[in-house]
Amino acid sequence: MVSESTETAAVRIENLRFAYGEKQVLHDVTMDIPARQVTAFIGPSGCGKSTLIRCINRINDRIPSARVTQGSILVHGIDIHRPDIHLQELRRRVGMVFQKYNPFAKSIYENVVYGLRIAGVKKKSDLDAAAENALRSAALWDEVKDRLHTSAFGLSGGQQQRLCIARVIATEPDIVLMDEPCAALDPLATLKIEELITSLKEKFTIVIVTHNMSQATRCSDRTAFMYLGNLVEYGPTMQIFEKPREKQTEAYITGSFG
Amino acid sequence: MPPMNQQHIFHELDKTMNALKDSVLLMASLTRQNLERSVNALLNRDIDLARSVIGDDTEVDELEMKIDQIGMDILLRFHPVATDLRLVITSMKMAHNLERISDHAVNIAKRAKKICKSSEAIETTIIEPLYTKAEKLLRDALLAYTDANPELGQGLKPADAALDAEHKQVIAMLSGRLENAGPRAENLLHLIFVARSLERIGDLSVNIGEDSVFLSEARDIRHEHRKSPEAGESQD
Repeated sequence: MVSESTETAAVRIENLRFAYGEKQVLHDVTMDIPARQVTAFIGPSGCGKSTLIRCINRINDRIPSARVTQGSILVHGIDIHRPDIHLQELRRRVGMVFQKYNPFAKSIYENVVYGLRIAGVKKKSDLDAAAENALRSAALWDEVKDRLHTSAFGLSGGQQQRLCIARVIATEPDIVLMDEPCAALDPLATLKIEELITSLKEKFTIVIVTHNMSQATRCSDRTAFMYLGNLVEYGPTMQIFEKPREKQTEAYITGSFG
Repeated sequence: MPPMNQQHIFHELDKTMNALKDSVLLMASLTRQNLERSVNALLNRDIDLARSVIGDDTEVDELEMKIDQIGMDILLRFHPVATDLRLVITSMKMAHNLERISDHAVNIAKRAKKICKSSEAIETTIIEPLYTKAEKLLRDALLAYTDANPELGQGLKPADAALDAEHKQVIAMLSGRLENAGPRAENLLHLIFVARSLERIGDLSVNIGEDSVFLSEARDIRHEHRKSPEAGESQD
């Protein structure tokens, strides 16, 4: 099937329902996530925001009984639930960074080129170039270039998280999903990741889940507010935080949630 | 501008702060220009110049709204602290004061227009010393702000007092002439309003000077004469 899309949406979610066993956790979510912008998801714990972004690279498939019960997700116009979708390829195109930085017990260099080795890249000069490129993009190169072959665990928390981002972008994904990427970091390391996020959007579509509303205001272009599995409001970040249309959004962002 | 040369980790904040500073500087220079042109229109009986001052005020109004919007965006997005916070707050106050000064320039231009249209001759140069003082106050206040010079900013009071004294004299002189002015009375009244505007510009410049002290040193020097008992007594 030839799927040509003229849309600017990197991800199109249509009437998505999702359940863990009998418990439905996402209710008819419909939204377009634009390409090369930062889209932030905010909302109280358990509102479904992580579940939703984890649907985009089908990483929820790994949880028994978790399933999409209705609706579809298109990534650049292609339905990711089509039977011929190659999961490994989907997850290369839709990379993910987690709350707790999780480098492998390998050298800094081997962490970055891990995905490329799996994809069959063998030539050392290609791997070297890709590693330098990814580390530069992740604003980490200058800090680690003299110790590429030492353990990744010798880095600070913020550096380890930037290494995880380098590892994801080394495989040149279209979309990078970030699930609370700064939750385990101090304020300065957080600012560095936020600065990185705003620079990465030139090349990648970024989707970020955050509990930190000021983080959403600082570095996202669009914000989605979710509550009890519903997408309550979704729009330009400044509009959401300056004049939200929905009472529930206003209550949540002003901290008067009852 | 104040110690803002150090870059933030988050570059977006630098970019937005620079946009704010640039807008304030542009608004300050337009406001000064408007004042100068309005008084020139009056002194030189230049009705076209008066008209263009009145028309150009829209640009100043738009800048005031733009500065408020950028300021609000910065407060919302970046939660600025310390110098950054003071810069945002004072920029918004600057915009407000500059807009009012520009409004006074428009008032002067409107009076100039009316005087130009009247066939009665009037000695408009009476207000020239007032303008010189008000213009100097405004220039110093803006310099205190842009050069982060708190000494200059808090030293504007004496110059403003001199302007006030001069204003009183000019008003007394113009009022005195009113009685037997006949058809010239209307033009004399216009000049009284011009004098009043120039005196107000002095007050607004003092406000800007006070804001520049707050920006540089986080010190609020407004209404200080009320806090000091000696100064209070001497005024009674």
